[in-house]
Amino acid sequence: MTPLDQLLLLSALTVVVPLFTGNRRITGPLATLLYTGQGLLLLRMAGLGYGSETPVSSAVSLQVLGLELHWRFDALSWFFALITIGAGLLSSWFASGEWAQRYRDSGSSLRLFHAALALNVFTMLVLLASGELLSLFIGWELVSWASFLMMSLGSNTALRYAMRYVTYAFAGAMAVLMGLVLVYTRTGSFEFQAFRDAVPSMDADTVWLLFGLFAAGFGVKMALLPFHLWQAKAYAETPGPGAAFLGAISSRMGLFAMIVVLVQIIGVARLVELPVPFTFLSGRDLLAWVAVFTIIFPTFTALRQHDARRLLAWHGIGQGGYMLLGILIADDLGSAGGLMHVFNHATYQAVLFMSVTAVIHRTGTSDLNKLGGLVARMPLSFLAMLIGIIGLAGLPPMNGFVSKWLVYRALILEGSPLLFLGAVIGTLGTILSVYKLIHNTFLGQLRLEHVDIEEAPSSMLWPMMILSTVVFVTGYFPGLVLDWIASVQAAVGLPVLAHHLGGVHIDKGGLDMIWVVSVLLAGFGVGALVFLSGNRSKRVHQLDNYAGGHFLTADTRYQYSDNFYPGLMHLIGPWYRKSFRWLEGGFVSTVDTVSQLMQGLYRHTHPAFYLLAVVVFALSWVMGGD
Amino acid sequence: MNELVLMVALPLLTAFLLPVIDRLSSLAARWIGPLVLLLTAIIGLSAWSQTGSGAITIELGNFRPPLGIDLYVDQLALLFALAVTLGTLLLWPAEGEQRLRQSTLALLLAGSGSGLALSGDLFNIYVLYELIAVVSYGLAASRGTAAGQAATLRYLIVSAFGAALALAGIALVYQATGTLNLAQLAQLAPTQLNNGQGLAAFVLMLVGFGVKAELFPVNTWVPEVYATAPARVAGLLAGVVSKLALLIIVRLLILLFPQPEALTVMLVLGILGVLTGELAAWRARDFNRMLAFSSIGQLGIMFIAFSIPGKAGVFAGLAVALHHLVVKPALFLLAQRWGGSLEHLAGVAKGSPLAAALFILLALSLIGVPPLPGFWAKLLVMIHLLEQQSSLYALGAWIIMAGAALEANYLFRVASSFYRREAAATPPAAHRTGDLAGASLLGAALAAAVFLIVPLADRIEAMAGQAADRDHYIQTVNPEPLP
Repeated sequence: MTPLDQLLLLSALTVVVPLFTGNRRITGPLATLLYTGQGLLLLRMAGLGYGSETPVSSAVSLQVLGLELHWRFDALSWFFALITIGAGLLSSWFASGEWAQRYRDSGSSLRLFHAALALNVFTMLVLLASGELLSLFIGWELVSWASFLMMSLGSNTALRYAMRYVTYAFAGAMAVLMGLVLVYTRTGSFEFQAFRDAVPSMDADTVWLLFGLFAAGFGVKMALLPFHLWQAKAYAETPGPGAAFLGAISSRMGLFAMIVVLVQIIGVARLVELPVPFTFLSGRDLLAWVAVFTIIFPTFTALRQHDARRLLAWHGIGQGGYMLLGILIADDLGSAGGLMHVFNHATYQAVLFMSVTAVIHRTGTSDLNKLGGLVARMPLSFLAMLIGIIGLAGLPPMNGFVSKWLVYRALILEGSPLLFLGAVIGTLGTILSVYKLIHNTFLGQLRLEHVDIEEAPSSMLWPMMILSTVVFVTGYFPGLVLDWIASVQAAVGLPVLAHHLGGVHIDKGGLDMIWVVSVLLAGFGVGALVFLSGNRSKRVHQLDNYAGGHFLTADTRYQYSDNFYPGLMHLIGPWYRKSFRWLEGGFVSTVDTVSQLMQGLYRHTHPAFYLLAVVVFALSWVMGGD
Repeated sequence: MNELVLMVALPLLTAFLLPVIDRLSSLAARWIGPLVLLLTAIIGLSAWSQTGSGAITIELGNFRPPLGIDLYVDQLALLFALAVTLGTLLLWPAEGEQRLRQSTLALLLAGSGSGLALSGDLFNIYVLYELIAVVSYGLAASRGTAAGQAATLRYLIVSAFGAALALAGIALVYQATGTLNLAQLAQLAPTQLNNGQGLAAFVLMLVGFGVKAELFPVNTWVPEVYATAPARVAGLLAGVVSKLALLIIVRLLILLFPQPEALTVMLVLGILGVLTGELAAWRARDFNRMLAFSSIGQLGIMFIAFSIPGKAGVFAGLAVALHHLVVKPALFLLAQRWGGSLEHLAGVAKGSPLAAALFILLALSLIGVPPLPGFWAKLLVMIHLLEQQSSLYALGAWIIMAGAALEANYLFRVASSFYRREAAATPPAAHRTGDLAGASLLGAALAAAVFLIVPLADRIEAMAGQAADRDHYIQTVNPEPLP
């Protein structure tokens, strides 16, 4: 039994255990313990992450219909598995204490929640371990349905959007299946290697078809435009820790599959050779532009949200665009940026969802128009969210800055100014909306009904603090993550990034985060010294406010969070046209019309007429051949 | 070996004796039907191992064909005979006041269905097919509602026309060859039927037998009959009877008409069936109609699969057919209580969690989610379709994929409504234990198949190899040469 088998077995056990322990209090801590075990088993394969080990295969292999199924872990799988198990561990920890009690008291099934979470982790590990196209597809479908299970635990809205997800995801899966059967009929095998060998001899049309099928199929999971409508609401309304988990890693599985098929097998170089008819673009450019629009549109949709969870979920879609964009540049810097962003995004997105869930836990709402001023009540949650949004916005000293910097740098070096511009517009929207998030939640005026609330319970704070630390430390020492990235790049055949603990060194201006952050901290230190050496300040109650010499009673709303950024919205408001919804609606009504016709066929009251008609037609066809 | 004849004779005999038995003891009349079916199933199962190495033939009255009537028992035929017996047992439709009549009809169905699967000549096939048709009219109209009778009348009209066409096709075959024994026909087919007349005969028989196999466009009776007939009867028709008709068509294709034109006709009609069936099902707002349209779509997939030439097609088609044979009856068992408008099903998961979970399992397998058996069947069909390197077969593959995507949408629209928080105003009654047990049994079989997929696939492949082997058929029956 290889370490991989042990890992998968323990992961399967994690699914089973909650089914037995049920709604008891022990379920959460037990599951957390089991995730820790999974993490330790993963660390036994840590050699993969540092490029010092050959892929670990599973002892299990199957022969079905003459097709060989096998599983293995390489550096890419290891990297994604690390994020998956980490997200599972911390989400489960977060869901162990008071949250579990509240969840259970509301009549929901804790058993189902933990089983669903563990099932997600398990199926993802199976997908990450896939050793050929068929097991990739099986893992893919398992992941899809596991995340459907998780989403459908949420509210009615989540259920409705999960339903939408099923439609998109299954249509996407069918596209993938079509693609891999096409590959099979050409190569006679589902092995990655056979596919890779066959690619050079395929004509452009075939590669286009495969590229389209795989990109669309895997793109659904990543919520690439125009398949993005399902994700935000489905993720947002999932039970809190589940949303943190899904937001952190779930849709990255689409990216994983894309890396395997488009980068590792077909190869970005081949995509560059594919011309888009009647334009000067290539297949790679086309997908890169899709990625850029996936950054821009969902990010600006996020700006309009007034529910904290939906805002975050929309950003989750947008950030996926950066990852894909970086990987499609396919040089050492860009692909490193894209891959690193997977890790970074997982960390800050989880911490953000957790801090929002902590706020919901205390106040009962995530409506940004009904919160405010919680900073003095929940200072640690505030800190966690602050660190998270700095990461999300991609500003130093957090880790999000490093990965975005790498992507930008690569875009400039590769000479794609328009793509760069698009990415920057996206970042602008991100900064604006994360400010709205933290302002409306923690800053501004405290509401009277929130005067007595307390800091989040420790079972929630611990995971948040751990993740915040990770966000900061990997921003300070990006080399920690870049080590893994370099092994991944080597494993998938991308140019390997030369790096050091502080960042990268390149001729046209490198990046050393140790230096950047130290200067930043020194600046803060000076500021703090100035502040502390100044006059003594007097502490007043948060509700003790004056304006123009008048005392402001607590029920006076003097600071508005509603209609945030009115000036900007006045400018760009007309651009929000719900075009994609319109597109989707148009497609649905087309199908509806056609199926009405089909039903009409069956409602026909002269069945014998069809019979004669088909006989006459078929007879005339077969006899006409003579 | 001749005890296999009992699979046909015993249910028929019991059916005729049932009124008499009822006079003597109504308790006996109630139980004798299922018991007889159980007995015949055991007879069939005990013969199973003998058919593994090669098919066997039974000459009734020891007259050699073509003078005598022969039964041809290979694994495929035996499997379908068993399926019709066990299917009738599982979906035993007798209930209420008309118990006696229903039992008689069900036994007739089982007997004639087994006979149809095992028959070795076209004449018997025609006779038994007609018998099944008459039985199914009786069963379909047994609810006695006006809508049911109207639907059955329509069914009767199409079916009668279809039978007439099939008979015309058989007549053409007889005119060309002078025999109706399948083995002998198989010998003569390459010389006598490989022409326009042969193809015309095939088309007539395809359309004629296609009525019950839900072949587009002679399947217009399907949605109304399934919606108005008792759900168990609908399950029998959709699950078992349709496959029997399909079996005949496949036998004819293998033995008599290997011409590519014949396959193309079937392929085109199959594609149209998937297209119309899945689209119409997507719009259906009634549980039974949805299942009916979905079964039209699934039968379309089978027609597409069987139109792949050679053993590959038989293997792929058989896999889909067997899968559907398990799934559709189970769904119709659930429809026993869930029939009618889909709106009534909102929130039913709270009251009947097991039924909801079963529905999800069956739906997942139906749309082909790995690692459930439906996925492997679909994968097989896809691979062999695309291997044909022909655009029409590739179109079939694309249509199957699109159909599956639609199917996922409408099945899971229903499934997610089960879990809606607010329940419907008039929720359906809870399932009866019998229905739920039957559906659970089929669901468990499906789940078990996940783990047994490797041996199952080997068995089905062997079965397909045996069935697709024309020379084996001829040699086994070894008919006397025509004068």
